[in-house]
Amino acid sequence: MDATLINLMKDPAGVPFFPVVFQGLYILTWALHAAFVLLALGAFGLSLYGSTKQKTDSNWKIFNPHLIMTGKFSVSMLILLGIAPLLFTQVIYDSGWYVANTLSGAWVFIFIYSLITGYMMFYWYAAANKKGKSGNTIIGLISFAILVFCGILMHNFAVESISPTKWMEWYAPNGVINNSGFNFHIDIIRLAFMVSLTIPVVGIFMQNYSDFLSTRKDFSSEYLTFVKNLGTKLAVVGLLISAVLFVVWMLKEGLLLNPVVLATIVSVVVLLLLAMRNKNSYVTTGILVVVALFISGVRELVRYNIMSGLGYDLYGYHMNLEIETITMFLLTFVILGFTGIAFILTMAWKVGKREGVFDASKDVAVTKLANATLAIFILWTAVYFAWGIVALFKNTL
Amino acid sequence: MEMLGLYPVFYVPNFGSAWLMGLTGTIHILASHTSVGAGMLFAFLAHKAYKEDRPELYDYMKRYGMFLLIFSYVIGSITGPGIWYTATAASPRGISALIHNFVWVWATEWVFFIYEVIGVFALVYFIDKIDRKTHLKLTYTFAIASVGTLALIIGIISFMMWPGNDAFYNTGSASDAFFGMNTFPHMFLRIGFMIMMSGIIGMIISSAMKKDNAALSKELTQKMGIVSLLGGFVTMFFFMWYIMTLPANASAILALPSNSGIILQRIILAILFSVYFLVAIFKPQWISRTLAIVMLFVIGISGVWPGEKLRESMRKPYVAGQYIYSNNIIARDVPGKGIKSEVPILAAKGFLKVDPWVPERLRTITPENKLEVGEMLTKRACSNCHSLETNGKYRPMATLIATKLPGKDAATINNYMKNVIGTGAVSYMPKIALPDEEYDAMAAWMATQVK
Ligand code: HEC
Ligand code: HEM
Repeated sequence: MDATLINLMKDPAGVPFFPVVFQGLYILTWALHAAFVLLALGAFGLSLYGSTKQKTDSNWKIFNPHLIMTGKFSVSMLILLGIAPLLFTQVIYDSGWYVANTLSGAWVFIFIYSLITGYMMFYWYAAANKKGKSGNTIIGLISFAILVFCGILMHNFAVESISPTKWMEWYAPNGVINNSGFNFHIDIIRLAFMVSLTIPVVGIFMQNYSDFLSTRKDFSSEYLTFVKNLGTKLAVVGLLISAVLFVVWMLKEGLLLNPVVLATIVSVVVLLLLAMRNKNSYVTTGILVVVALFISGVRELVRYNIMSGLGYDLYGYHMNLEIETITMFLLTFVILGFTGIAFILTMAWKVGKREGVFDASKDVAVTKLANATLAIFILWTAVYFAWGIVALFKNTL
Repeated sequence: MEMLGLYPVFYVPNFGSAWLMGLTGTIHILASHTSVGAGMLFAFLAHKAYKEDRPELYDYMKRYGMFLLIFSYVIGSITGPGIWYTATAASPRGISALIHNFVWVWATEWVFFIYEVIGVFALVYFIDKIDRKTHLKLTYTFAIASVGTLALIIGIISFMMWPGNDAFYNTGSASDAFFGMNTFPHMFLRIGFMIMMSGIIGMIISSAMKKDNAALSKELTQKMGIVSLLGGFVTMFFFMWYIMTLPANASAILALPSNSGIILQRIILAILFSVYFLVAIFKPQWISRTLAIVMLFVIGISGVWPGEKLRESMRKPYVAGQYIYSNNIIARDVPGKGIKSEVPILAAKGFLKVDPWVPERLRTITPENKLEVGEMLTKRACSNCHSLETNGKYRPMATLIATKLPGKDAATINNYMKNVIGTGAVSYMPKIALPDEEYDAMAAWMATQVK
C-alpha cells in the first residue's frame, strides 16, 4: 500500500489536537501498560514455580500468595492502562490500527474472550492456591498460557499495523480476497524481547517488596533476604537476556546507532548495575521507569520510521482544534486524577506498613487528601451538568 | 485517481460481523451497569452502617464487594475495550469517527476508570484495615467515579444515535455532539437500570446469608427488593422520555413489523420483574440463592439483549452521528469538520474504481469474474447489516429477498437495488447508488444465494 492510500485512510474528521501530543501521550501510557504486563506475567509465572515449592519451603509459603495477589492486581492494571494507548494509537495511526483490526478481525474477538477466560481462571487459581488444594498449578498453568497468548495476539496487531507494504497481499493473497480475519503475523525477535522483560521486572519488584516490608516486625529478616536475593538473581540474568535480544532486534531494524537506541542501552546498563548493587531498590525502580519509557520510545521510533519512510505524514494530519474537551481532560487528569490516586496510594502505603487497623482519620495527610478528593468529585459533577445544560439550551432554543 | 479511505472487510460467513458486537455489548452492559449500580448501593450501605453503627453491614458489603470485583470488574473492564475492539473490526470508520471526535472525553473517562479500579481494590481489601470514616469517604468518591464513567460515555453513545440537532454539523465541536437531545434521558434510563441491577445482585448475596444471620438476610432482601423496584420504575419513566427524543429513522425502525412485539414485550417483562421484587419485599424468605441467581440472568438477558438490539437497529442506517453509514460510507457533509459526503462519488464511479482494497484482477468485470466481483461488492456494501449466504442467520439477506422480493431472480434484485436502495427510499438502509454494472454483478451473485 503506498503513501497516498495510507494517508487517505486518515479520518476525514481530522485530529482534535497536535499529533505530537498524542504521540507523547502514547509513549507515556504504553510504557505504563507494558510495566504492568511485565509485572503481571512475571509474578504469575514465578508463582507457578512457587506453587510447586510452597508445600515444603516455608519462604515460598509466605511469598507465593503475595505473588499471586500482585499478579491479580497487575492484570487489572494492565487492562486499564492499555486503554489509553489504544485511544492514542487510533487517533494518529488510525490507518495502521484499523487495517490490523480488520485483517485480524477474528483474532480480535478471540483476544477478548481469551482474556476473560484467562483472567477468570487466574481468580480460580488464586482461590485454589489459598485453600492449598492440589492441582491448582494446572489451572494456573492454563490461565498463564492464555494470558501469554493474549500478549502474542497484541503483538500480532502491532506487527500488522506497521506493515503497510504487506497489507494487500495479506488481505487478498494472489488477488483472491480473504475476509475471514484470521491473519496472524509475528516478529519473533521483537516478541521474545518483550517477553524476556518479564524476568527483570519481577526481579526488581522482589527487591522493592523486600525493602518495603523490612520495617514490619511480622516478617523475618531471613525471609526478606531470601526474596531479595532471588530477586537480584532474576533481575540480573533477565536483564542480560533482554539486552542481547534488544540489540538483535535493533540490528534487524537498522536502528542500533540511533541516539534514542543508544540512550536506551546506556539506561539498561545503569539499571543492571543498580540491580546488582542492590542498595536502594526504589532508585532502581525509578531507573526502570526510565528504561520503560525509552523502550516505549523505541517502539514508537520503529513505527514512525517505517510509516514516514513510506510517506505517511503524521505531523501533517489535518487538525480540527478542540478546546473544550481537552480542557476537561487536562483538568480532570491533573487535579482529580492526581489527588484521587494520591489519596488511595498514600492510604495503601500506610496500611501496608502497619499491622492491624490504620486509623486514617487521625492521619492529617490522608484526611486532607480524602476530603479534597471528595470535594473535587462533587465539583466535577456540578460542572458537568452545568456545561450540559448550557450546551443544550444554546442548541435547542 | 480519487479513492475513498475505506478499510478491508471482515466478515464471518453466515453471521456477518455486527452480532459479535451485540454479544460483547450485552455482556458488557450487564457487568458495567451492575458495577456502577453496586457503587451507588455501596455508598448507601456504608452511609447507613456508619450513621446507625451497624457493623454487620460491613460484612455484607465485604461479600458483595468480592462478587463485584470478580463479576463486574473482571468482565466489565475487559468487555469495555472488548466492544471497542469488536466494533473496530466490524465498522472501523464508525469507531474512527467516534475516536476522532471524542478522544479527550474517553481519555477523561479513563482517569475515572483508574480511580475506580484502584478504588475497588482498596474498598474491598481495606474494609477492616482502615477506620470507618475514611472508608465512608472512599465509598462516596467511588460511587461518584462510577456514575461519572456513565456520564462520560453516555454522550458518546447518544451521539451514535444522533447529535440531536444541527449544531454539531456546523461547528464540528465535540461539546455540541456530546450533549444532544437524548443524552440526559438516556443517562437516567441507565441509572435506573443500574439501580435495579444492584438490587438484584444484592439479593443473591443477602439470600445466601440466611444460615448465618436469618434476620439480617431478611431485612436486606427486603431492602434490595425496594431498591430494585425503585430502579425499575426510574428505568420505565426515562425510557418513555428517551423514546420521544429519537430521530425519525429510529421511529421508522420501531414501526417495522419485525419489531411490533417489542413494546408489548417490555410491558410484560416489567410486570414480571415487579412481581419478583414485590415477593422480595413481602415474602423475603421465598427468595433463595438459586432463584436469585436465575433471576439475575433472566432479567439481565431479557432486559438487555432486546434493548441493545433495538438500539443498534434504531440507529440504522447510520453507525455514528447520522453521518456515517453502517457500511462505512460517509453519508453527508459535515462542514464544521470539513467532511464531504461520499455518496455522490460512489454513484458516479462505483466501488471498483474508488475502493483501494479491490485486487487489480477484479477491477474490471468480465464474464469469468462477475460472480466473484458481485460477492466482493455485496460484502462491502451490505454485509454490515445482513448476513449474505443461503443459510444466513443475522438479518439474512437471502431470506429477506425470498420473502420480500417475489421475483427472487437477479433482475428483480437488480431492480430493487437500483430503484429502492439506490434512491435512498428506505429510511433504514443507506442510499447506495452505484453504476449499473456493479448492481448487475451484485444481483447476479445474490441470486445464487437465494433458495
Ligand atoms: C445500515 C444497515 C443496512 C445496510 C448497509 C443494508 N441493509 Fe438491507 N435492510 C436493513 C434493515 C434494517 C432491513 C429491515 C429488515 C427487517 O425487515 O427486519 C433491511 C431489509 C432489506 C431487504 C428486505 C426488503 C425491505 O425493504 O425491507 C432487502 C432486499 C435488503 N435489505 C437488501 C439490501 C442490500 C442489497 C443491501 C446492500 C446494497 C443492503 N440491504 C444493505 C439494513 C441494511
Ligand atoms: C493479558 C493481556 C495483555 C497482554 C499480555 C498484553 C501485552 C502486550 C504486548 C506484549 C504489547 C506489545 C506488542 C508489540 O509491540 O509487539 C502490547 C501492546 C499494546 N497493548 Fe496490550 N496486552 C494485553 C491486554 C491489553 C488490553 C486489554 C488492551 C486494551 C485495553 C491493550 C492495549 C494495548 C495497546 C494499545 C498496545 C499498543 C499497540 C500498538 O500501538 O502497536 N492490551 N500489549
